[in-house]
Amino acid sequence: MFEFLNEAESIKIIVTVGSMALFFVGLFGLLTQKHLIKIFMSIAIMEVSLFLLFIGLTFNKDFTAPILGDGHTAFVAMNDPIPHAMILTAIVIGMAVLALGVSFTIEYYKLTGKTKIDEMTEMRH
Amino acid sequence: MSIKRNLPTSVMSGFALSAVFVLTLLNILLQNIPAQINTAGYELLKLNADDGVANAVTTVVVYFRGFDTLGEIAVLFIASLGIGHMLHLSDKCDLKEHSNFMLYTASKLLFPIITLFGVYVMVYGHLSPGGGFQGGVIIASGMLLLLISHKEFEVPHSLIVTLETLAGVSYVLIGLIALVVLDVFLGNFLPHDVSEMGLLLSGGVIPIIYIIVGIKVGSEMSSIVQNLIKRDANV
Amino acid sequence: MIGFLILSIFIGVVLVAFSAVIQKNLADSIILFMGVGLGSVVLFFIFNAPDVALTEAVIGAGISSFIFLMALKHLRSAS
Repeated sequence: MFEFLNEAESIKIIVTVGSMALFFVGLFGLLTQKHLIKIFMSIAIMEVSLFLLFIGLTFNKDFTAPILGDGHTAFVAMNDPIPHAMILTAIVIGMAVLALGVSFTIEYYKLTGKTKIDEMTEMRH
Repeated sequence: MSIKRNLPTSVMSGFALSAVFVLTLLNILLQNIPAQINTAGYELLKLNADDGVANAVTTVVVYFRGFDTLGEIAVLFIASLGIGHMLHLSDKCDLKEHSNFMLYTASKLLFPIITLFGVYVMVYGHLSPGGGFQGGVIIASGMLLLLISHKEFEVPHSLIVTLETLAGVSYVLIGLIALVVLDVFLGNFLPHDVSEMGLLLSGGVIPIIYIIVGIKVGSEMSSIVQNLIKRDANV
Repeated sequence: MIGFLILSIFIGVVLVAFSAVIQKNLADSIILFMGVGLGSVVLFFIFNAPDVALTEAVIGAGISSFIFLMALKHLRSAS
């Protein structure tokens, strides 16, 4: 019934609009939340939206995954492997930076007992 | 005077309008991709058919972009260093709560299976989806299961240090050997035939590098996980 | 069929992310963040990218959520 959604143009529009909406949900959380853990979670949501955008824009629904198997014997009619490799690196680095930030939060809480950015006023005169 | 975070509705509506504007701009710009960029991936697949392994993503990560993987390992190492510096406890301490009987028994059954699956994903990374990063993190999650269910289990610190150092040093050593033999840093200096594509021993130095990456990532993630759990017990 | 599937999963992921951001309780928002990871794994599989789906499943919905849960445990136990 929804046959007009299966064309390449429609899929590109859906992917762009959806991942931009997810990006702005994360940005909204980054600007309005006060708890430090919620701020880190919003940054992680923004990163996930960019991964979806990168891989969704090179998607061709007639092609298959860039791996030889299941009877394929030649590297023809396959999706592009370069964005996959870039996003693999980006996922790991995003996780490492998140772990470091969260451990900073834990140490700061053990030192002063505050987690909301409203109350962090040590640098003011 | 505290920081006010309540944005008024005018800011919110301006936000939404600029979001719509950015969306339409992005959509228009991305419709007209030049033909040369659009076929770069297919040229790479042709290069891969002569030179690489059955998993094209592994070839790109390890061989065509091997230097970027070295940088990514450096970033993981710095993050693990920072977390270990802040949260490490050197004396032996155990968890306060005694865990459930079902968790205690089931984790002893599940840990070998999880480790075996992690090693399989790591070793077959050039033939099926997977690789060093995925396999290493699977092994670290097996260690996590043991850490939360047994009171006195801990991964020995000397083992983590030895594995991590040896893996990091051998990655750079392989690159330097390739520089001496082939004049290309991180080139493929072991014999690799096109006729072997699809077998376990194929691709020259690519599976060896990915296994080294997997050992390093697995030991680093185990160290991060252990530091995050054990810190709580002494408070 | 594929277009309708992608659209519905995208709508689900955006709704779950929005409700993860505006929750008051921290434990609820961490569990909803795991839902975002799950939806993105399904989307990566539909986009013919099995390597990225496996990595996101292990790291995003596994280790990353575990880090948040451990932070929650530290922030509550020492109070």
